[in-house]
Amino acid sequence: MKRRDFIKNLGCGAMGSTTLFSTLASLGSMNGALANNKFADTDSSDYKAIVCILLSGGLDSYNLLIPAGTGGADNGFNEYLGLRTDLAVQNANLLNRFTNPVHVGVRGKSSAYQAFGAHPGMPEMSQLFNAGKLAYMANIGTLVEPLSNYTDYQNNEKKKPLGIYSHSDQQMQWQTSVPQSRDAIGMGGRLADLLHACNDNEELSMNISLAGKNLFQRGKNYAEYAISDNINANNVGFESLPSGWSNSGLLTELRNGAIDNMVSETYSNLLQKTFATTTRQSIAAFDSFKEALKKVPSFTTTFPNNNSLADDLSAISRVMSVRNELGAKRQIFFVDFGGWDMHDNLVSGLNERLPMVSAALKAFYDSTVELGISDKVTTFTISDFARTITSNGQGSDHGWGGNTMVMGGAVNGGKIYGAFPQMDIFTNPVNVSFRGNFIPAVSTDELYAELALWYGVSPADLCYALPNLGNFYSYSANNYPLGLMNMTGGVSTIDRPQNCLVY
Amino acid sequence: MCLGQTVETLGQGNVKNISVTASSNSSNGIRTLLRDGYLPNHNAASRFLSQATLGPKFAEIEEVTNQGIEAWLNSQLALPNSFSIENYIRSISQSIADSLNRTPQTTPYTVQNLNLSDWYFDVAWFQGSMTSPDRLRWRVALALSEIFVTSRNSDFDGNPYALASYYDVLLDHSFGNYRDLLESITYHPTMAVYLTFMNNHAQATVNGNLIFPDENYAREIMQLFSIGLYELNNDGTEKKDVNGNSIPTYNNNDIAELAKVFTGFSWHNAEYLGDRNENELDYTYPLKFFPIDSSDAIRRPWKSNPDITNGHQPGGKTFLGTTIGQGRTAEQGELDVQDALNVIFNHPNVGPFISRRLIQRLVTSNPSAAYINRVATIFNNNGNGVRGDLKAVVKGILLDPDARECCKGDEPYKGKLKEPFIRYMNLVNGLNLTSTTGVFRNRMNEVYDKMEQRPMESPTVFNFFQPDYIPDGDLKKAGKYAPEFQLLNSITLTGYLNALDEWLIDNDPIDYSSYFSGETVKDAQEPEFDFTADYLLAGNKNLPQLLDKYNMILAHGGISETNFNHIKKAIESMPDIYDADGDFNETNAERRIRLTIFLMMATPDYLINR
Repeated sequence: MKRRDFIKNLGCGAMGSTTLFSTLASLGSMNGALANNKFADTDSSDYKAIVCILLSGGLDSYNLLIPAGTGGADNGFNEYLGLRTDLAVQNANLLNRFTNPVHVGVRGKSSAYQAFGAHPGMPEMSQLFNAGKLAYMANIGTLVEPLSNYTDYQNNEKKKPLGIYSHSDQQMQWQTSVPQSRDAIGMGGRLADLLHACNDNEELSMNISLAGKNLFQRGKNYAEYAISDNINANNVGFESLPSGWSNSGLLTELRNGAIDNMVSETYSNLLQKTFATTTRQSIAAFDSFKEALKKVPSFTTTFPNNNSLADDLSAISRVMSVRNELGAKRQIFFVDFGGWDMHDNLVSGLNERLPMVSAALKAFYDSTVELGISDKVTTFTISDFARTITSNGQGSDHGWGGNTMVMGGAVNGGKIYGAFPQMDIFTNPVNVSFRGNFIPAVSTDELYAELALWYGVSPADLCYALPNLGNFYSYSANNYPLGLMNMTGGVSTIDRPQNCLVY
Repeated sequence: MCLGQTVETLGQGNVKNISVTASSNSSNGIRTLLRDGYLPNHNAASRFLSQATLGPKFAEIEEVTNQGIEAWLNSQLALPNSFSIENYIRSISQSIADSLNRTPQTTPYTVQNLNLSDWYFDVAWFQGSMTSPDRLRWRVALALSEIFVTSRNSDFDGNPYALASYYDVLLDHSFGNYRDLLESITYHPTMAVYLTFMNNHAQATVNGNLIFPDENYAREIMQLFSIGLYELNNDGTEKKDVNGNSIPTYNNNDIAELAKVFTGFSWHNAEYLGDRNENELDYTYPLKFFPIDSSDAIRRPWKSNPDITNGHQPGGKTFLGTTIGQGRTAEQGELDVQDALNVIFNHPNVGPFISRRLIQRLVTSNPSAAYINRVATIFNNNGNGVRGDLKAVVKGILLDPDARECCKGDEPYKGKLKEPFIRYMNLVNGLNLTSTTGVFRNRMNEVYDKMEQRPMESPTVFNFFQPDYIPDGDLKKAGKYAPEFQLLNSITLTGYLNALDEWLIDNDPIDYSSYFSGETVKDAQEPEFDFTADYLLAGNKNLPQLLDKYNMILAHGGISETNFNHIKKAIESMPDIYDADGDFNETNAERRIRLTIFLMMATPDYLINR
C-alpha cells in the first residue's frame, strides 16, 4: 500500500483525535457535502497567511515603542526617561520618530501621549509605519475581561489571568488567548479547526512551525507541521540507505515499508499510539512537501545574515512561494525568536537584538512584495509580557501589558491602537506594582479577532476562535474590534461546523 | 502486553540459583521471581536497568539477574561519585597546553588562559558516563539536570567549566540531601549567571537611579526547583479552596521579598559587588558574599565621598507566610540565605513536587497518586527522621511496586517516551561501544543537531519538555501527561531516524574532533560498533535469536510479535549471510544486523519505555 493511501484509510481510526489531515474534511470534500466551504479552487489569488512571531522570554516592549514628546503638552519622552532611568534610551533624538502617528483608542481608553518613535535600532520599522504597512498595539496583554484599574485588579469577583508574571503561563496565554485556563488549545489551532477544509491538500497542515511544537498552532483537530529554516527538497524526510549497498533503492523502500507497517499497527498503550500517529502524519506531510519544494523560485530579496529570525522568515517565504503546489489557500506560520528575558544587560541586549528583528521583518515584508502577496500576509509579534518599568540596576523583571507590532499590506498602518500608559507608577490607575506593571488596555482577543475576521472566520464562529471575546466585543456590520485590518470585501458569512468554546 | 515480569508473592528471602532464561516475549518467561529477594529474568533486569541507568549493557543485565535488583541497587547507592567532569576537562586542557608549549610561546599556554569551547564538556560528560561504575548516579544526575535546569543557551554559552562544575554538583548530590543540593546550586556561579542574581544588589539609589533586586531566581527557585505554583497534597494532587479553585503558593509580593535574600553575591575573586569574572574557571568556585557595595570607592579612589550602599538587603523579608532576617544587618545576610532555603525546604509541597518530577524522569509520565504519596512520604522522612534524603527517594522510586510490577492493570498510559538523548545512550550502551584505550572523544553533535537534546543545553529554564505537557489526541482525551512528546515533531522524528542512520547504518556513533590544529588523529578514541559476535545470528535461520537478543537488551522484551515479524520479514528480504557457493558473506551479515537494530529502535514498542 502506498503511504498516502494507508494514511487515508487509517485516518478514520484517528478521527476525533488530532490529525494533520482531517479525515472528516477530506471525506466531506470527496462527497461534496462540504464543497461549498471551499474557497474558489480556480482562484489562485485567494490566499491569506498569518505569521506569528513569538519573542519569547518577555520583551521589554516599553523600549520597542517609545514616547517621543519632549515638552509642552506632550512630555512623554521625559516622563519615560525619568521613570526608566538607566534602562531608557537616553536621548529623544536617537528615536526613529514616526510622522504624525494616528491614535486609535479602544473601549474609551486612549494613549497618554501623541508623539512616538521606534527604538533607535529599528529604522526599518518607522519606515514601514510611515508607509502605512505597520501598526503598533499599545499596552496589549492577557485579559479574561476588562480591568479598568487597581481596584478592579484587587476585586475577587473579576476574572484574571493565571500566573500573571510567570513565563510559562503568559507565553501559553498569548498563544491560547484563554488566560483563565491551562488546558486551552491555541488560537492558530482553532483557526485551522475552522478553516482547514479550505485547503486542497488535507495531508499537509495549514499550520507550519519553524519552532517545533507550540501551543499557538494546536487545535482540536489540527496541529503544527514543523520544518527547519534550511528546508529544501533534499533535506525533507528519511535519508536513503547508502548507495554503496547493493539494491540500495529497493532496500530503502523495504525499510520505509517496515516503518510504515509498524506505525500502522494498533496500539492499546496510548503513548505508543500517539507516537505511531505522529510518525504517520510526519511521513504523509513530508511526502507532499518534498514535491512542492522542488518548485521554489530564487528570490531577489536578500535576508540579513547571522539572524535566525531572518532565516526562519526566509524559509516561510520559500514555503509561501509554493503555496499553489502545496494546495494551500490559508496558512498560519509560527516562529520563536527568543532571548528577551533581560534581567541583566538589558540596554546592550536590546541594542543587539531589536535591530535583528527590524531587519528581518523588513526583508520578510519585501519578499512578500516580491511574491505579489504583501496584502495577503499579516505578521505580528507577541511576547510573554512586557517588563517592569523600573530598573533592577542591570535590567528589568517580569511585567504584564506591553506593546507589539502588526505588519502587512492589509494592515491599516501608521497607527497606534490601544492606550499607551502614562509613564508614572504613583498616579497611573492601571499600574499594579511598585516596580511598574500595567494592566493591559487591549486584550489579545481584540487583536486576534481582527486577524480572524480578516483571515476568513465568520462573525458567528468567533466564539469558537476566541472564547472570551464576548467580554470585550460583539460583532455588528462594519464595527470591528480595533479597525486594524482592511476588511474591504466584507467578512465571511460561511459558518463552520464548530460549537462555541467555553472555558 | 506484559513487559518485564509479574511479581507474585512467593515469600521473602534471598533465593539464589533459580534458572533464568531470556525470552523474546517476556509473557512467556519464568514468573517466579520477586523484587525483594528473588532474581529477575533477563527482561525484568533489563527493564529495571532502563530506569536505573542511561542504557542497559548486556553484562549489567547478567549482573542484575545474578545479584537481584535490590542488591544491585544497594551496591550502586553505596558507590561514591567516581568522576569529576571539571577535572577531566582540566586534564585535557593541561595536555593541550603541554603539547602547544613544545613550540616556544611568547606567553605559554596554561589551563587558565586556554579558552576551551563548550564541547569539551560534552567530551568529558561522555567519557564519565561510559566509564564510571556508579551508573545509577549518572542516571539520577541527568534527571536532576532536567529539573534544576541551567543551560549553555545563556551568557556562558562557550564555557565548558560553567557546565562541568554545575553538573559535578548534581553528580555529587544525586544521593545526598535535597537541602544541600539547593544550597550548592544557590551558591554556584552557573546558577547565579543563568538566573541573573550574580551581582544582585539591595534596593538602593545607585548613580542617582532607584534600583530593585532582580527577581528571577526568587521566582524560579519556588516555581521550578521546590514548591511549584499551587499548594499540593502529599500525593501530588492540588489542594482546593472552598470554591474548588487551586490555591497559589505565592504571589508577586512573596517574590519581591524573597528576591531581597539573594542580594550581595559575586564571583569568588571579585573585588567588589558588580565585578566581572576573569576567566572560564571562575565558574568553578562558589559565590562570594558582599554585604556592602563599596564599588564606588574601589573603582574611583580619587573620590573623597564615594557612595557606600548595602550590597545585601538588611532587615526582615516576608514570604510564604514567614518573616526572616528581622533586625539583621547586611553583614549577617548569609543567614538570610540559610533561613530562606529552610523555609522553602520545609514547605509541604517539596516532597510531592520533587517526587513527581523524579518519578517522571526515571519511570513513568503518569505516576499514580498513591505512588507519589509513597515517595513523598520517604522524602518527608527517610525512616530515620531525615527530610530530603535523595538516596532514600531514589531507592523508593525504583523499588516501588508501581515501578517494578509491570502488569498490574497495565494501564493504557503506562510508561514514558524515551528521551531522544536517552535513546542515544541506549544505543551506545546496548551495543557495548568499547574503546581499546578506555578513552572516548565524543562531542555528541549529532544527537543535538537532529533531536535537540544534550545535557546542559535546554532552550530555557523550563527544560526540553515540561512535566505537565499533554500531547494532542488520545492522551489529551484521557487527560494524561507525556512530557517527552513536547520534543517530538516532524523534524526531530525524522531527525531521530536519520541520526540512527548515521550511528548504525554508517557505523559512526562518535563525533570526534581535534583538540588543536596539527594534533595527531587518535582513531582509538573514535570507536565503532563491533557486530562480529552476532554475525552467525544474522542469517535467516538464526534471525529470531538476533531479534531476541536486542529485544532483550534494548526493549526488555517489549517488541510485540507483530512488529517482530515486520522486522524479520524485511531482513529476510536482504541477501543472506551465505552466498550461492555457501561462503559466509561478512558484508551481508553486517548490513542485516545494523538494519535489524535500526528497525527495532524505530518501533513504538521500543520508544515507549513501559
